[in-house]
Amino acid sequence: MGSKSKKEMKLRELKRLRRERRFQHRLFGKPAAEESKPEKDLKTEPAHATKSKVPRWYAVHYKPLLIVPMAILVIAIVLIAVKVATTGDFVNKGISLSGGLSVTILTDQDIDVTALQNQLETKYPNYEPSVRSLAETGTQIGITIEAAVDANDKDGIDAFLNSIQEYTGINKSEFSIEAIGSALGSSFFQQTFRAIILAFIFMSIVVFIYFRSFIPSAAIVLCAFSDIITTLAVFNLTGIKLSTAGVAAFLMLVGYSVDTDIVLTTKVLRGKQGTVLDRVITAFKTGMMMTLTTLAAAVVAFFFSPSEVIKQIMLILIIGLFADMLYTWIQNACIIRWYMDRKELKEKNA
Amino acid sequence: MPKIKEVFRKPRVWVLIIVVALCLLAIFPNPNNSGVIITGVLRNSSASLAGIEGPTAGTPPMFKEKIISINNVPVKTLADYYDFVDTLVVNRTFILKTNKELYRLTALPLYNITVLNETYTVNVTKPFFNETLNETVNITEQEERHKIKKEIIGVAPIGLLIGEAPTSNIRFGLDLSGGTRVLLRPEEEISQDDLSLIIENIKERLNVFGLSDIVVRPARDLSGAYFILVEIPGASKEEVRELLSQQGKFEAKIENDTVFTGGQDITFVCRSPDCSGLDPQVGCSQSGSTWGCRFRFSITLSQEAAERQAALTKNLDIITENNQQYLSKSLTLYLDNEQVDELRIGAELKGKASTDIEISGSGIGNTRQEAVENAYANMKRLQTILITGSLPVKLNIEKTDQISPVLGQEFLKNIGFVGILVIVAVGAVIFARYRNIKISGLIMMTVICEVVIILGVASVIRWNIDLSAIAGLLIAVGTGVDQKIVITNETMQKETAVFLRWKDKIKNAFFMIMGSYLTVFVAMLPLMWAGVGLLKGFAITTIIGASAGVFIARPAFAAMLEVVFKEE
Repeated sequence: MGSKSKKEMKLRELKRLRRERRFQHRLFGKPAAEESKPEKDLKTEPAHATKSKVPRWYAVHYKPLLIVPMAILVIAIVLIAVKVATTGDFVNKGISLSGGLSVTILTDQDIDVTALQNQLETKYPNYEPSVRSLAETGTQIGITIEAAVDANDKDGIDAFLNSIQEYTGINKSEFSIEAIGSALGSSFFQQTFRAIILAFIFMSIVVFIYFRSFIPSAAIVLCAFSDIITTLAVFNLTGIKLSTAGVAAFLMLVGYSVDTDIVLTTKVLRGKQGTVLDRVITAFKTGMMMTLTTLAAAVVAFFFSPSEVIKQIMLILIIGLFADMLYTWIQNACIIRWYMDRKELKEKNA
Repeated sequence: MPKIKEVFRKPRVWVLIIVVALCLLAIFPNPNNSGVIITGVLRNSSASLAGIEGPTAGTPPMFKEKIISINNVPVKTLADYYDFVDTLVVNRTFILKTNKELYRLTALPLYNITVLNETYTVNVTKPFFNETLNETVNITEQEERHKIKKEIIGVAPIGLLIGEAPTSNIRFGLDLSGGTRVLLRPEEEISQDDLSLIIENIKERLNVFGLSDIVVRPARDLSGAYFILVEIPGASKEEVRELLSQQGKFEAKIENDTVFTGGQDITFVCRSPDCSGLDPQVGCSQSGSTWGCRFRFSITLSQEAAERQAALTKNLDIITENNQQYLSKSLTLYLDNEQVDELRIGAELKGKASTDIEISGSGIGNTRQEAVENAYANMKRLQTILITGSLPVKLNIEKTDQISPVLGQEFLKNIGFVGILVIVAVGAVIFARYRNIKISGLIMMTVICEVVIILGVASVIRWNIDLSAIAGLLIAVGTGVDQKIVITNETMQKETAVFLRWKDKIKNAFFMIMGSYLTVFVAMLPLMWAGVGLLKGFAITTIIGASAGVFIARPAFAAMLEVVFKEE
């Protein structure tokens, strides 16, 4: 009896070990046969040698790839420049950043958006009212009305609200109202914009102090910058108006985009095992997983949240995360490999 | 299960367990909590006379006074309470039992007061300052007063503001619970002292209105300008919005000479129904399509102000109109430099230092009912301003947010649902990658611990969870998951890192995590001040969450992971 259970235990132990090895393989690929080779041997290999299944052209001729992210960055900058030239602003500002009045009404009652728009437009041409339908999974759950009324113009606001109450038949105590003075709106915009620049500068300082090496740090900062610019350009294409919460989303992006770059740079600069390309690939596996979990959360929240605020934050995050993949794993990976190649060359010559 | 035992031998795991337990205690969740809580008490009402006090802004939601029964009949829902109120009759006494105390309340009558033409004389003793003697002497005078007829027309409101019992101590911001947020900006630059004075004054004004569960706090933006942020939970109250921005400079003048001003010159403002309300002698009248109603209430002036009035009326002529004798000039009332009302001064007041004055004004509306309501609203506002005095500067409304409780509840319900979906989605991605239930479970468990810590800390520091805080919560959870992934991947790379010991692997992971933590931390700092701190909730939640993740959950996670993979 005793010997049998011992055997069973051994078997179970073996199974467990196999299972765990399988798990590790899934994460880091099957170890090559020469795994047991001493570290010394690895060091003498060229930097692009790798045990992973990477096409040879990427292993050797990776530099031309840099053109892709650079071209996209240039296109993004041009798009934003065109936006500034045509509208005078680099982004469509929502009322929380430009001033005005916004009324949100949640109701299961069907409201004819165009009819309401026409009624309000004829009565208040100066306010430039715009009515939008709020929808969740295709069905109308309410409406949002925006108008250029000043927050201090109490009579103007009251009259406008009374008209909406009259046209829709919904009591105005059920309205959600946001009114903001135009002076405050533009100061909000300037200040949150300044906050992003400050955050960006602080973040750059931390990165430079942290890695104490110019080119890799500069690459991280460039990556975060490209990410923000590209996200902004794509966001502008959607035609959505930016709110204060959207500004917060851009700040979140600074944080998330730097995270993957830190993983990449730490792995490559501080890693001691494998070739540079190996380290880039391990970093890629960790980094992509980080991006994918965040993306999963953002996509779910975007589709299931009725709140415009949350929706906008998530949309900006989703755009930004895709841009981040491009800039971290093509642009930043190229730059850092280039840097390591040159460093190695210098060390050899010295 | 020797592994489980080993997990509990790690002090870092205990730190996490203790912190999470403390946070749960702070949140005090009780999903089955039901009943009716007291959210406010109106002044001079039967509730406040019985000694019931409203909660202050600092009272944790779960510790607000809960109504248990009235006259031994249990009160479980708001409807139970209103049902009882409907049965009340005047002067009936009832016992209200809360979870704190027993109160004996008496239903007060609601009067309709008519002033009759008959008069009666009373002896009134007043202090009078005699200049020759240089001391105050009491002088008794005879005064003629109109007789009044008091008619009871119903039961006055009990004066309790009630709400449904909360299920946890988490305070939800206005955008999730409904309410009004007003951002005020002083018209000119003011000192820190003036700012605190204004804030105290606004709080006092709102308290007079029966609102105690409010937030009034200063805010500054990056350029150093001061703002005042007022948050009032619950249904919107339009008259409140106006009360906030009004400087409230009240002046009573005869021609261009000021007789008295609001605040210091006034020692008492009557707000009880027997000396304030609609003016019984004038009442409401219709002209064209609009109705107008007059209100009046009596105030008591300081002796100084009364003497100023005596000096100013001494040399006026007496004129006769409609068989009534008046002084030739009238007393004009101004509020923030706008004329509110003009009062004729009775001839008998000529040169007399009378401290009792009747203030009046009016309200108009399209219907009689509307005019009555407006008259009462104007009266209440004027009374409040006379009690609290004026603000040192005029305030401008810069921003108002009014969120209907319906919208807020809709959001709140949905956010719980979306939160669960997000956790499931992230868990699915992690499981798809690792194919290991232990590791995925461990990651998700620590992340949920982080959420509990954030909510717990928010409850302790009385931070309101609003939409921007939810966004911060999401970013904190996101970085939390990212950190766990870094640790797991680092510690799992066995084949390529033969020479790395456990500690070195953790050190490597820690380097990356600290890097990402520090960048997020500094990126959030400017938001603490930018945009009048309206995104402060986002910044604070992110910082709390990221810190809890790095300093509490991460070490525990690494320790537990070590146990899981120790035997390799």
